[in-house]
Amino acid sequence: MSSSRKPLARGHNLTAYTFLLPWLIGFFCLTLGPMLGSLYLSLTRYNLLTPPQWIGIANYIEILKEDDTFSNSLWLTVKYVFLSVPLRLAFALLVAMALNKGIRALGIYRTVYYIPSLLGGSVAIAIVWRQIFDGGGLVNRFLDWFGIQGPSWISHPDYIVYTIISLSVWQFGSAMVIFLAGLKQVPGDLYEAAQVDGANKVRQFFAITLPMLTPVIFFNLVMSIINSFQAFTPAFVIGDGRGGPLDATMFYTLYLYLKGFSFFDMGYASALAWIMLIIIGAFTAVIFATSKHWVFYGDGKEGR
Amino acid sequence: MRKRMLIAALGMLTAFTAACSGGTGSPGAGSGGAGASNAPAGSGNDAGGAEQVELRIMWWGDQKRADITNEALKVFQEKHPNIKVVGEFAPSTGYFDKLNTQLASGTAPDIFFLGGNVVDYANKEVLLDLEPYVGKELDLSDMDQSMIEYGTIGGKLLHISAGANARGVVVNKTLFEKAGMPVPEDGWNWEDYARISKEISEKLGDGVYGTYNMSVDGMDIGLKQQGKQLYDMANGTLGFDEADALKWFQYWDATAKAGGVVPSDLQVSNPPGDTSKSLIVTGKVAMSLIPSNQLAALQGLTQDELIMVQLPRGEKGTGVVFESSQGLSGYAKTKHPKEVATLLSFFINDSDVAKILGSDRGVPVTAANRALLEGESSPVEKIVYDYTSRVSEATKTEPFAVSYNPPGFSEYSKLAESTMYEIGFGRKSVEAAVKDFYEGTVKIFKNNQ
Repeated sequence: MSSSRKPLARGHNLTAYTFLLPWLIGFFCLTLGPMLGSLYLSLTRYNLLTPPQWIGIANYIEILKEDDTFSNSLWLTVKYVFLSVPLRLAFALLVAMALNKGIRALGIYRTVYYIPSLLGGSVAIAIVWRQIFDGGGLVNRFLDWFGIQGPSWISHPDYIVYTIISLSVWQFGSAMVIFLAGLKQVPGDLYEAAQVDGANKVRQFFAITLPMLTPVIFFNLVMSIINSFQAFTPAFVIGDGRGGPLDATMFYTLYLYLKGFSFFDMGYASALAWIMLIIIGAFTAVIFATSKHWVFYGDGKEGR
Repeated sequence: MRKRMLIAALGMLTAFTAACSGGTGSPGAGSGGAGASNAPAGSGNDAGGAEQVELRIMWWGDQKRADITNEALKVFQEKHPNIKVVGEFAPSTGYFDKLNTQLASGTAPDIFFLGGNVVDYANKEVLLDLEPYVGKELDLSDMDQSMIEYGTIGGKLLHISAGANARGVVVNKTLFEKAGMPVPEDGWNWEDYARISKEISEKLGDGVYGTYNMSVDGMDIGLKQQGKQLYDMANGTLGFDEADALKWFQYWDATAKAGGVVPSDLQVSNPPGDTSKSLIVTGKVAMSLIPSNQLAALQGLTQDELIMVQLPRGEKGTGVVFESSQGLSGYAKTKHPKEVATLLSFFINDSDVAKILGSDRGVPVTAANRALLEGESSPVEKIVYDYTSRVSEATKTEPFAVSYNPPGFSEYSKLAESTMYEIGFGRKSVEAAVKDFYEGTVKIFKNNQ
């Protein structure tokens, strides 16, 4: 038995690796080298133009002990992630459920709602966003009808981050498409049984839809968190590209970029990058560790 | 359905990776090539004329500047058929990041523009020493001596000014007439400035303000007026104390609280440096600090009449000098230093080029071209020439040294701007903000020595 299973397992692995091959090539040819390079640079003082000087972990110590901008930007980024990711996923699920009602021309709607995801990361959209949320922009003109004098959303340090969050929520499309696929997998007979037992729609949602969707939510959550931590373009374009006003758009990646390319401190920037990697890794690990308590696989496999 | 999506996704991924791995070869080869060609400048293997040479040049600015610069480069190529010039440009906000990246990877253009931050680049030894070409490819015989001195840093000629200007206060005359107030004149002081700012914003109301907050842009001038300076290059130290900065920021805080200054959130969305968004152009601000070469760009966007007035006086005078607005430097690793020198020489001396470029980057630095442009200047340019000659006159009796920006300038200016907004948005008291500002400045300065 065991001897016949082995080649089969090997065959499976081979298939898996074949499909992984493109990613593996990318990782080993393109990503790994620069990553190791940045690990080395993070232990040096490197001003881009003269050779790096070894300084050990001094960069890390300075970041963790003295750098206020670091802690501010980390806090801002965490705030952004914790507001934008749940909102985006909730919004995506809501729209996915609306589209799952068996309406006509589903394909068109699906495409229309997916488009923001394709465009959302672009500079052009961020510029449009600037216009919409500007002092005399669309949003404030709308508020004007109700007699509300809105502030200039993109230039006040208290509000600008919400402008960026709204842009992120608006890009709910890719999560929505995945939710939609997940919703289609939920067996209809579960709902029928629930109906017979007299469960109302809300109850059905919490007792059937949500548990059956947890694997998809899990996937979306991990992807969204990783992406949101790395948000750069919206902060760069909607803000002034220097983290302003008053560091209200100083996202972690933007700070890293400025340190490296504007302030000639690439060693420090590399150290920032590695701290970021560790933080994202920690968040992802926490989600994975807790997943077995809340992710439910309908096909009987234990959560893994 | 799911399977098909998966296959499609994998197909796309494969195509993508293939495209990427196709590229892996070239960066490696590229860096190897650059490494091989890094022999120091001046090996002088291309003996003039016959050989076809390609130069890259990069500048910052708007579309108009790009158009005229490209036109000037076209003229150059017609006169030097063996040199092909490829121009690149970027908006001023991203320009230096782009340049730094290219310098770090050894792919910087042969020639690039620098502003007041030239010291940063000189310290990092990426600029071509032009001394060996002076009098041969590079003709500086007609160039202002002060501008040559400005470009000589640490005993080497590293920078050729492409235009000179003097900063001053742009005044929207039309707004003053509307308010029924006398138009400001040279010789005023900072008290007058605060009073006039307040008065005009009260008279005109409805979102019109007296002045932009110039506490950052004008800080070096403010320090000079107190007999201090931002950066003491001769001694390699900062040229001011915390108390000097405090005095300056306190003045602006008081003026802002009185109501004559553009509020911070408005200044964020309409920064004074961006001519297309400037509130001067929309008639919402009556006065602002500008370099004189910007007047034409501003005037081109508004019907209101703009004029230029000297800065309000401090203890020691106006603190304004005729200074280089920006200039050209060669890349230390260029393969064609002679051609670089030829192009630089052409850029400042050629009369056709002077006519094409006008005073977009400032007043020409050679006497001949200055005379040429003055002869056929437009009404706006006349205002600029009139202003700059007033400044030249004033510096004869009240001389001020030309100043350089301190090392680590981009980080410093970010800090200064944050300080202004911390005060403006009421996040910190002036004293606390200036204390942090001074500590930060000292630290940046130390890191970039």
